Amino acid sequence: MVRILLRFTEDIVEEPITSQIILELKVPINIIAAHVNSKGGEVLAEVPDEALDKVVKAFRKKGAKVSIPKLIEVDSEKCISCGACVTLCPVEAITMDEDASVVFNKEKCIGTTCSACVDACPSRAIKSVKQNNSELTANNVH
Amino acid sequence: MCSSGAIINVGHSDPPIKIEKAWINDVPICHPGAAVDLYIGATAMSERQPFEYGGGHVIEDLVSGKEIELRATAYGTDCYPRTQVNTRLTKDDLNQFYLLNFRNCYQRYNCAVNDRDETIYTYMGKLLPRLHNATYSGAGELNPLMNDPDYETIGIGTRIFLGGTQGYVIGEGTQHEPQNRFGTIMVRGDAKKMSPEFLRGASFTRYGTTMYVGLGIPIPILNEGLAKKTAIRDEEIFTSVVDYGVPRKDRPKLAQVSYKELKSGSITVNDRRIRVSSLSSLKTARKIAGTLKSWITQGEFYLTAPVERLPVDTVFKPMRQTEEVPFVANVMQKAVTCSEAEAVQAVAERIVTQSVNHIVVVDGNGKLTGIVTSWDITRALAQGKTALSDIVTRRVITAKLNEPLETASKRMAEHNISALPVIDNEKKVLGIVTSEDVSKLLGR
Repeated sequence: MVRILLRFTEDIVEEPITSQIILELKVPINIIAAHVNSKGGEVLAEVPDEALDKVVKAFRKKGAKVSIPKLIEVDSEKCISCGACVTLCPVEAITMDEDASVVFNKEKCIGTTCSACVDACPSRAIKSVKQNNSELTANNVH
Repeated sequence: MCSSGAIINVGHSDPPIKIEKAWINDVPICHPGAAVDLYIGATAMSERQPFEYGGGHVIEDLVSGKEIELRATAYGTDCYPRTQVNTRLTKDDLNQFYLLNFRNCYQRYNCAVNDRDETIYTYMGKLLPRLHNATYSGAGELNPLMNDPDYETIGIGTRIFLGGTQGYVIGEGTQHEPQNRFGTIMVRGDAKKMSPEFLRGASFTRYGTTMYVGLGIPIPILNEGLAKKTAIRDEEIFTSVVDYGVPRKDRPKLAQVSYKELKSGSITVNDRRIRVSSLSSLKTARKIAGTLKSWITQGEFYLTAPVERLPVDTVFKPMRQTEEVPFVANVMQKAVTCSEAEAVQAVAERIVTQSVNHIVVVDGNGKLTGIVTSWDITRALAQGKTALSDIVTRRVITAKLNEPLETASKRMAEHNISALPVIDNEKKVLGIVTSEDVSKLLGR
């Protein structure tokens, strides 16, 4: 599965774009996180690797912006493994291991659509990386 | 620990200055003594980047060998004519640079939760609403005061590990509360020899800045009793789960948990599993214990007997207050209520006869289900709506009876509303507090 970040502007946010694409392409799309209101929306979704190209094209055709989501970054120099972030992670991507080190699992992290841990870090070791606007091309998605 | 800081002497300028106000990297610095003695408090915050950079970070920067910017002003005297100074300094330019912490090493501490409907940011970290997470502090079975609970070996003059070098206990810490196993110590150490690995500035969102202090105390096993006491385990150390959502000095204690449970990652409160994590680094605590042990075995660190032991009977008193603070209970009025089945017209009439602006909607048991304002009713009448259920606001911002009026009034301002129904823990409506009542009280 590959994660993609979908952005819907105000003028298309009311349309059932994701459902339409699922039905049209018959591809399972898993929504990991979503922030949607009448002004627009941001959705983190997971799509099967082999269907990525056509899914990305389909979303773009319907006016959605598609990019690769950037994850949260942890500065291991700054992190002192205090643990303040651990319980704030809704997907348990941050855990405390046997030797009391805080372990961050990038695969599980839902990235900047969540960011719940960022303002809880007393050492300011967790940074939410801003999405760059360079639109991904079908080739560099992989 | 917030009650930490460093005393520095910056030397005399020419012409000399008797510093009145000072800032280092824009962080206000205290001037408790003579001309050029300054105290950097860990919690003092930068004027340019408050909540992000503070005294703790200044100390960390100095310890790391970084250059800091000192700005100072003065009124000028015959002997100290200069009225301002701007200079850059490193720790090597300072005469004295001593860490001087009023309160460190809490024997144990509360486990914090939040039973409010909103996330709160505290000195115990970010607490999610409705008990969705818990935080704790302290090393449990590794805490020095917990290993020597009668302070047989700890007191003034005890040599300790402090910030990566050798320091000393200089007495009981502020708020020392030995009888409740909340002992604390006051410490001092040469910050020039310290390491940023064990001394770190910290930023707690919406609370402020502070400092992580690495501290370890060697406890000589002088007798059988001490051997037994130092064998204490996490499962024998208990602390309270405290609701930090209640903005009072004495907050409700919801459960008792052991440090073993705390370190396991989850605790149980009222049959509910809550994820818990620490705020102090257990990893660093273990490293300190290991480092201190190696210093001792290598003959680099010699144990000392205290000149005077820590007191075991100190009482931690609350503040004597000579002015009364108003609480919600002091201004609360009887709420005018209605049921959701009532017609808009009937509620409109009640607003007029009772001359109120807010009608609290309750169910058959008097429990809160919503609120309607005179504005909602006016609009409904204008739009020809008759069913109350169509216009009820169901996400109601509420207040608690024992809440300080200040926090309730702040909540009204934050949400741009003018009344809060007062409810108990079962959501039963006890009354209502309005912004009019608040202004009347404050205007008195």
